[in-house]
Amino acid sequence: MLQAHSLLWHYLWVAPNLLLLILAAILWRRKLYKKFPVFLVFAVVIPIEQLTVYITDIIPAVQPIAWWHVFWAGLLVEALIKFALIGEIFGAVFGLYPSVAKPGKFLISAVGVALVLLSSVAAAYTPKDNIYWIVSGAHVLEQTIYMIECGLILFLFVFAAYFKLHWSRPAFGITLGLGISACVHLATWALMANGNFSAQYRNRLDFLNMATYHACVLIWFYYLLVPQKNVPKPKDPPPPEHDLTVWNQELERLLHQ
Amino acid sequence: MNLAIVLVTAAVLALAVISSVAVSRSLQTSRGGAGLAPTIRPIDVEAFRNLINPAEDDYLRRRLPPGQFRVVRRERLRAMAAYVQVASSNAGVLVRVGEAALASGDPRIAGAAHALVNDALLLRRNATVALARIYLALAWPNSGFAAVRVVDRYERLSGAAMLLGRLQNPAVPVRLSALL
Repeated sequence: MLQAHSLLWHYLWVAPNLLLLILAAILWRRKLYKKFPVFLVFAVVIPIEQLTVYITDIIPAVQPIAWWHVFWAGLLVEALIKFALIGEIFGAVFGLYPSVAKPGKFLISAVGVALVLLSSVAAAYTPKDNIYWIVSGAHVLEQTIYMIECGLILFLFVFAAYFKLHWSRPAFGITLGLGISACVHLATWALMANGNFSAQYRNRLDFLNMATYHACVLIWFYYLLVPQKNVPKPKDPPPPEHDLTVWNQELERLLHQ
Repeated sequence: MNLAIVLVTAAVLALAVISSVAVSRSLQTSRGGAGLAPTIRPIDVEAFRNLINPAEDDYLRRRLPPGQFRVVRRERLRAMAAYVQVASSNAGVLVRVGEAALASGDPRIAGAAHALVNDALLLRRNATVALARIYLALAWPNSGFAAVRVVDRYERLSGAAMLLGRLQNPAVPVRLSALL
């Protein structure tokens, strides 16, 4: 069951990508992409890239070296789009408020630079897990990209939580999916790049990656297409009269100083 | 392999943080913006202003022996930190109160709510910087310190909260002003 080219393997590689393309089509038709145009690009380009890699994998005529070239190209395109998407989410959550947008931009840039340095150090210490550089290099590049992505998404969550900022439903859903995917992929690629595991064990990690990606696509479906329930909001009770008077007296005194 | 263990641990911790944020967000969504206002704690701004007055510090420095001055100065800094923490916590609550009002169909309420959120975020940011400076000053009690910007920002925030309160509930115009 958990073997390469098994039915489950084919399903997990193809189905989430088809679902993501369907989601892109729905977003386009309902004009829901206007707030998150980069996510629409993500939902179109990533499945096409993944399906290209899949097709080159199952066509016997494609040489292994050609497959790895396709894989590398896809990886670089994927990384560019994901970082652009993180920038778009940052703008959607913090861009409305100049008081946090400016320091936030500075901080996320600083965190990005620190993550690039950290991931470069990690890449330098990662042993070669294959005699072919194109294979081991791809594993290290995956580890590097997911380290940076995971760190940036974590920063977004922590920064918004510190300032008690509310996430819009689509922004939260997109970031949650990206975050879960980045964390799981970082763990699995770190194991693949640094551990000397058997092919069977690597297959299991591949399955974990694919299943996580499938779950994330379903998260995006839920948060982008299912409307939020309207919870009736009871009114706040008025504060005690004593506090009200004291505070207003204090304010009056300050204003007349 | 050690690097793999470090990275896997980091990934698991990041996933735990993201999951906890997701859970707390869903809890907040189900509660809406209700019940937030009573969690605001009133602050005696005058006492705080007195605490951060550099003239008071200069007076104490002149009157007290250096050792005793450092003890008193540290006590004052701790009290200052407590005030700033409460102001920051209140600003956090007002961010949520303002964001709950942002969805209002009335553009005046939405505008006032946006201004309130922006001011509250600015106060929270300044409070963070002020707290860092207070803790630094605790290590060096003889160094100068000023947290005037936090007080000024707090006053502006109270104005924004009052405006939103008036727009949301004209019958009880002082309701939100009392929260600060």
